[in-house]
Amino acid sequence: MSTETGIGAAVKRREDLRFITGRGNYTDDLNVPGQTCGVFLRSPYARAKIGAIDATDALQVEGALAVFTGRDTATDGLGDLPCGWLVKSKDGSDMAAAPHPPLAVSQVNYVGEPYGLVVAESLAAAREAAELVAADFEELTPVVATAEAAEASPIHEGLKDNLAYDWELGDEAATDSALATAAHVTRLDLTNNRLIPNAMEPRAALATFDPASGNYELRTTSQNPHLERLVLSAFVRIAPEHKLRVVAPDVGGGFGSKIFVYAEETVVTWAAAKVGRPIKWTAERSEAFLADAHGRDHVTHAELGLDGAGRFTALKARTTANLGAYLSTFGSAVPTYLYGTLLAGQYKTPNIHVQTHGVYTNTAPVDAYRGAGRPEATFVVERIVEAAARETGRDPVELRRLNMIEPDDFPYETPVALVYDTGNYQASLDKALHLADYAGFKQRRAASETRGKRRGIGFSCYIEACGLAPSQLAIQLGAGVGLYESGEVRVNPTGSVTVFTGSHSHGQGHETTFAQVVSDKLGVPFDDVEVVHGDTGRVEFGLGTYGSRSLAVGGSALISASEKIIAKGTRIAAHMMQTEPTNVAFEEGAFISGNQRLTLQEVAFASYVPADYPPDLEPGLSEKAFYDPENFTYPAGAHIAEVEVDEATGVVQLVNFVAVDDFGHIINPMIVDGQVHGGLAQGAGQALLEHGIYDANGQLTTGSYMDYCMPRADDVPDFVVDTTVTPCTHNPLGVKGCGEAGAIGSPAAIINAVTDALGTEDIAMPATPEQVWRKLSGL
Amino acid sequence: MNLTLTVNGAEHSLDVPANTLLVELLRTRLRLTGTHVGCDTSQCGACTVHLDGCAVKACTVLAAQAQGRSVTTIEGIGRPNGTRNGSPDDLHPMQAAFRDCHALQCGFCTPGMILRAMELVESGGTLDNRTVREGLEGNICRCAGYHNIVKAVLAAGDAMQEQSR
Amino acid sequence: MEQSGEHLIPVERATVWRSLNDPVVLARCISGCQSMEQLADDRFAATVKARVGPVRATFEVALTLTDIHPPESYVLQVEVKGKAAGFGKGLAEVALAEAEDGTTLLRYSVAGRVGGKLAQIGARLIDSAARKMADDFFSALHEALDPAADRQQSANPS
Repeated sequence: MSTETGIGAAVKRREDLRFITGRGNYTDDLNVPGQTCGVFLRSPYARAKIGAIDATDALQVEGALAVFTGRDTATDGLGDLPCGWLVKSKDGSDMAAAPHPPLAVSQVNYVGEPYGLVVAESLAAAREAAELVAADFEELTPVVATAEAAEASPIHEGLKDNLAYDWELGDEAATDSALATAAHVTRLDLTNNRLIPNAMEPRAALATFDPASGNYELRTTSQNPHLERLVLSAFVRIAPEHKLRVVAPDVGGGFGSKIFVYAEETVVTWAAAKVGRPIKWTAERSEAFLADAHGRDHVTHAELGLDGAGRFTALKARTTANLGAYLSTFGSAVPTYLYGTLLAGQYKTPNIHVQTHGVYTNTAPVDAYRGAGRPEATFVVERIVEAAARETGRDPVELRRLNMIEPDDFPYETPVALVYDTGNYQASLDKALHLADYAGFKQRRAASETRGKRRGIGFSCYIEACGLAPSQLAIQLGAGVGLYESGEVRVNPTGSVTVFTGSHSHGQGHETTFAQVVSDKLGVPFDDVEVVHGDTGRVEFGLGTYGSRSLAVGGSALISASEKIIAKGTRIAAHMMQTEPTNVAFEEGAFISGNQRLTLQEVAFASYVPADYPPDLEPGLSEKAFYDPENFTYPAGAHIAEVEVDEATGVVQLVNFVAVDDFGHIINPMIVDGQVHGGLAQGAGQALLEHGIYDANGQLTTGSYMDYCMPRADDVPDFVVDTTVTPCTHNPLGVKGCGEAGAIGSPAAIINAVTDALGTEDIAMPATPEQVWRKLSGL
Repeated sequence: MNLTLTVNGAEHSLDVPANTLLVELLRTRLRLTGTHVGCDTSQCGACTVHLDGCAVKACTVLAAQAQGRSVTTIEGIGRPNGTRNGSPDDLHPMQAAFRDCHALQCGFCTPGMILRAMELVESGGTLDNRTVREGLEGNICRCAGYHNIVKAVLAAGDAMQEQSR
Repeated sequence: MEQSGEHLIPVERATVWRSLNDPVVLARCISGCQSMEQLADDRFAATVKARVGPVRATFEVALTLTDIHPPESYVLQVEVKGKAAGFGKGLAEVALAEAEDGTTLLRYSVAGRVGGKLAQIGARLIDSAARKMADDFFSALHEALDPAADRQQSANPS
């Protein structure tokens, strides 16, 4: 196999050619004959009863076609948007799930919640008509702040309070007793700031309905079109699955925010049949700020116990997680199973207990955003470990090393329900320390001081569980779907290969890496392999892309399908070579027996033109596989941040960032580095710049790029990234996930550096110049 | 209103409402969908095009302001009429550098980023890590963390200077 | 959003008071006012075209007078609806005091809040926009009452 395009090669991406020439096909780029435009009516209030809605004037606008409200969708029997993960409280009761209608019917619960859809011939007409819809609202007092929500009066009728669940994991009694006898206990209050994902392509939907066949087609910005179809069919009840095709064409980034099944694409699909015309809706950025699911928003109190030698004896975390006004698709799982299970970090802490209160507030729903629970866990563990080192006068690196799980300890079972299969955390840390020139830090600090700057260094030794997920375990814990992946490898009659995957690429480069995997496995030229994804009409089934699962789960399914191709090809080849299959070996794209050799292409042709063919075999050479992982994969690494703080202005400059990650085997190192870079910039954004803020009335005051500070090119440095390798033990490629690591590890490293520079633990994310300046000024 | 302008070398004469934005004209009327809309406050740069050689955010320019002028979009750089998806040989050095350096992931910000970067190089100032980062301040990328974009612009800068020599 | 200010108006208090209750004068003094209708002694409805930063819309404004103490003071309840542009709610306390030479000192203080797009995009600009609207209003009132007078005024930003 050519090493230039096989596994491990930095193959240039084939999708790039269309993107750099402006020939991508994002949803809003698509147009169909007869298309109309949709504009959503959105609540300006955080909490209000909906009164009369009068569309008389709106429908007078030239080109206006229809105005739909929640009463219409309810009358038509549209189901609610479901939450896909049932979390149970510690008393065994089911989470309190508030009904989430696609369009608000009687009450709106966050600013931006859609309560109607206006359809018109043009976007301008739709906007003008939307302006003329007169809606009466009776404003109610909203509940906004995370920490106070549980005590406030319930925002949803029928629920006794705003607590969706009171969840726990770990042994509380053992943890409390270990803390009580610890030589030292470090206590820390932490806020994990609310983030707004901001994929650069706003969400969009283009829905068509064919009255002749009764078929719907939805083209939309989705990370998982099959899941979208499943929900629209089984839960919202728009149409049965065989009458509904969902296509996710080129998608401009997701970071989690395009996993979820939202109101807009749901309603647009339903309305396309009502209007009898295709409808296109594209979010403005302002709408994205209001109505895309947000991320993070935790308030946590944590306690870490250490014995006299510095060994961790117990970790306790009490977290309140803001779920927003409704439970989004996976919103319930993020601050529980994707968070609490990671609180062991890289350490042998014997006792851990975590309690999460998931609360409703009158804010946008909160769900998975790059990292999803794991950045929050890493922030708790790595902040408190750093603080403990400072409090007990230990070197933060040595304290970590003392407590790390060692290579001989694997498989390692944590007190919070995970079994880490493999890793070498010390190796990543050593490499990172070398690359960061830790030894030279003191000199650099002194040099900074001469320039009126305070310098700080911070560490974060993170672990994550990704490659979601073993289905049995996930379903046992409340998941409503399995989390396997499907793959199909179709060898065409002339030997080229079409690969179908249930994973979805929205920037990750699957069209390249998956082709590398299959071409390597089957020994066919890279250019002969095409990857198809994101279309329920072409791909049998899929669970999509999130939780750094594509390669570990979707890629593994392609390996399984390729193995079936080889097995069938071996039987065909044996027949053609007049020998037994056991005498045939498959090497570098050819079936070999003694001195006989048949290429895969020759065997494929024979399978479609079966003139001389095994009597007990079906023609054709196409195989499907479903791969269900045995365990999560556990990428881990060491991140080291160095910052300079300007004493005069409070500006924090991230001057150096080193990330050494262990992703197991790597298919395309160029793409992996890029994934890390992107994650690091988002982590730096969380630590220093980004913050979704609602005022006391529940108005989003960071609702545009004027107020929500996105990382720009001069906010981040060149990153130093490197890897170490311990192959995953349970998937055929030995790969882990690389998509989220950057965003998981980096915020803690950066805040540890800022607190190091300032000499106080009391710095909240984002460490804005104002906040830092106030600390420096003693205000 | 009647509007005459040149887009990617071809002259167009169209009747458009006076309040049409340049980006609407390009995307909706001329179906040049490589120019993207990423925000509604002129801050993301996804809609960057060249107007008489200068990078402008096409969401902030009225189509009428392009009267009699020349607009270049992502579809108009490199060698025109390339193959279906553009053969690597047909690319502008900036396009080639973005691909070579893996300076794009989802590709949505890329056309605007490339057009802004071309202007940055063509303006002839000093090109180093710092000036490139400052020069790209008006363009947001959410995927790539800027690292490889900066690398690509510096590489393309060398290639473009080489070419113009 | 909170602000206050004072203006010296060179006419006697009774005249100022009458103007502040006269829909015709009010309509002339509110910039962008397209209509002003008196619904009752203490209630007015107006349509105002206004702009706050990038948010530009036609707002339906409902004014209700309470705590009326002629000719000294009243409290103005303001409700602004801009449909897609959002909404605003506020209370304005207006007090008139007799000043030297038959002039009148008008003091006002406003407390309000905005919602929807006004808050999302315009929040950072709302204070300056409100101040400008207030300044424009009093300049216009000044001019309406005494066209000949110099446009002297003292805004006193709090």
